[in-house]
Amino acid sequence: MKYYTKVNDKEYIIEIGPDNEIVVNDEKYSIDFQYLATGGMVSLLLNNRSLEAVVDEYDDHWEVLAEGELYNVFVQDERAFRLAQARGTTLDTGHETGVKAPMPGVIIRTLVDVGDVVERNEKVVILESMKMENELRAPREGVVTAVNVSAGASVEKGQVLIVIGDRE
Amino acid sequence: MKRDDGLLTKKFDKLLIVNRGEIAVRILRACHELGIKTVAVYSDADRKAPHVRFADEAYHIGPPPARDSYLRIDKLLDVAKRSGAQAVHPGYGFLAERAEFAQACVDAGIVFVGPPAHAIKVMGDKQEARETVKAAGVPIVPGTEPGLNDTEMQAAADQMGYPVLVKAAAGGGGKGMRPVYQAEDLPDAIAGARREALAAFGDDVVYLEKMITDARHIEIQLLADAHGNVIYLGERECSLQRRHQKLIEEAPSFVVDEGLRRRMGEVAVAAAEAVNYVNAGTIEFLVDRDKNFYFLEMNTRLQVEHPVTELVTGIDIAQEQLRIARGRRLRFKQKDIKIRGWAIECRINAEDPYNNYLPSTGTISTMRLPTGPGVRVDTGVFRGYEITPYYDSMISKLICFGETRGEAVLRMRRALEEYRITGVKTNIPFHQHMMESHRFLTGNFDTKFVEERFSMSDREADQEMEAAVLATLMAHHHNMQASQIIAPAGASSESGSAWRWYNRWQRLRR
Repeated sequence: MKYYTKVNDKEYIIEIGPDNEIVVNDEKYSIDFQYLATGGMVSLLLNNRSLEAVVDEYDDHWEVLAEGELYNVFVQDERAFRLAQARGTTLDTGHETGVKAPMPGVIIRTLVDVGDVVERNEKVVILESMKMENELRAPREGVVTAVNVSAGASVEKGQVLIVIGDRE
Repeated sequence: MKRDDGLLTKKFDKLLIVNRGEIAVRILRACHELGIKTVAVYSDADRKAPHVRFADEAYHIGPPPARDSYLRIDKLLDVAKRSGAQAVHPGYGFLAERAEFAQACVDAGIVFVGPPAHAIKVMGDKQEARETVKAAGVPIVPGTEPGLNDTEMQAAADQMGYPVLVKAAAGGGGKGMRPVYQAEDLPDAIAGARREALAAFGDDVVYLEKMITDARHIEIQLLADAHGNVIYLGERECSLQRRHQKLIEEAPSFVVDEGLRRRMGEVAVAAAEAVNYVNAGTIEFLVDRDKNFYFLEMNTRLQVEHPVTELVTGIDIAQEQLRIARGRRLRFKQKDIKIRGWAIECRINAEDPYNNYLPSTGTISTMRLPTGPGVRVDTGVFRGYEITPYYDSMISKLICFGETRGEAVLRMRRALEEYRITGVKTNIPFHQHMMESHRFLTGNFDTKFVEERFSMSDREADQEMEAAVLATLMAHHHNMQASQIIAPAGASSESGSAWRWYNRWQRLRR
């Protein structure tokens, strides 16, 4: 099965073949992949090189934590890739991204309005939780398409507070 | 022995720990090594916590919020009475520096493992602490009395030299605080600070303090017995902080030599003697580039970072606390204290260094602790433990020892890579990056380093291909699983290469 995978703007075409073999950008590797425990801890022998990592699944991407480095990885299988190509989009992060509350808390204030253009890492919401004021930042650049909360609101973990869409 | 200032020492063989988490476990260990019976308390959130399971007895004290449980003096003293504990150890945080709690214990005839209530009270009041130690000859950050007029403040600033800080007398949290780098900016800064202070505290009194630039935060660990003996156990370097929260501590400090250690130690002893201090305590200093040092405050309790001192002195500070509280004399004299090797502590917090250090809650699904030579882990969590928003985000301390700083750093790198926690985000990657930071390795940092100059993206991400492969294999696994569930029974497996691979992989997992 063929996959189109993107990390830090680099694209890899990965074909998972028979007999513990994979082909990455036309280069063949032997693999032995083992799932170690719940929580996404895995072990991979890649041409006998031993790698251990934590792999977490998110709505539209995977996070791989290996040797103290976090990688955001976007994976599409061949079919999804063809469909996306037909729609004129490829391996991007989707059209709308929600800023979610990482924990329950109270909104101190929102710093953006619908229609505002935001940069990646721009502060958008101040959330009080664990006795601290926490700055929530935009996960991507774009335009604010929805602000679902206002100051004083109590929010649950995972609640979508603000939605950021593509810039026209 | 009972003193007027709220000190009570006597022999005890059963102790109540009014704390939770790793520090409760630390104290339990010291007690068990000394043959002291232990009593733990727990809120609804902590029934399954290690401190409850390690203790000889445990008592429920209320719902998760600390104000309804770990801060309820009445409930805690009631547990002491019901369990027959003759002593109380407060740990750090919660009630550890509340003079009224120390006094309440003593009034109930219970030994408080810590200083006398009076010493807690004096050192807990910033202004009173400054005046008290100043009178004992301890250097403090130069500054003016509150309440001078603008002209007097200008004269004072000229005399102490710029930069200076304008601070609100009623202040806190940075409100009404203004740095001033040159004389011509002072009048505006004073006016601005007064306005802000009036708005925030209803009081426009301000004062000046000399601003210490490139400052390091270095502290001296003390032990004092009830017989007037006070010794210092060397220093700890605690400059690596974020929002005034320490993240990495080490002992000894890169910048402290034998002479400076002795001078700081003697001054720290004098500060403790000024309040008739007893038990373990710490004097925090700011140290400037020219190695002038200034008293910041005294922490009248056991500190989070005490293990680094334990490793380089060989002294078990928690055990010594218990001996002192039992009224024993110190077993060591100053000349017995030798600093050997190097120790580094990384505080492992449930927070995401890749997302602005936001605290992370959730259940720990996997935990593998580092072990091996020179590695110590103090923790109060376990697999299956839920990190709740009720308590602070520190879940563990990883401490490594080496004969030299270089060895300790290499060991820490190795241990951090072994440490695996899943289910919540942790700051382990932050520490891994710091252990490779040039500024850290050369000891070239101050209290502003983490906030102003440290970045998680400095290091080259050189395993992109491997990350791509790992994520793709996981995605493939999920695809296969999803397909398998919807496939009709018996119609599976041998139809395609990917299936064969998957089956083989499944067999390997068994």
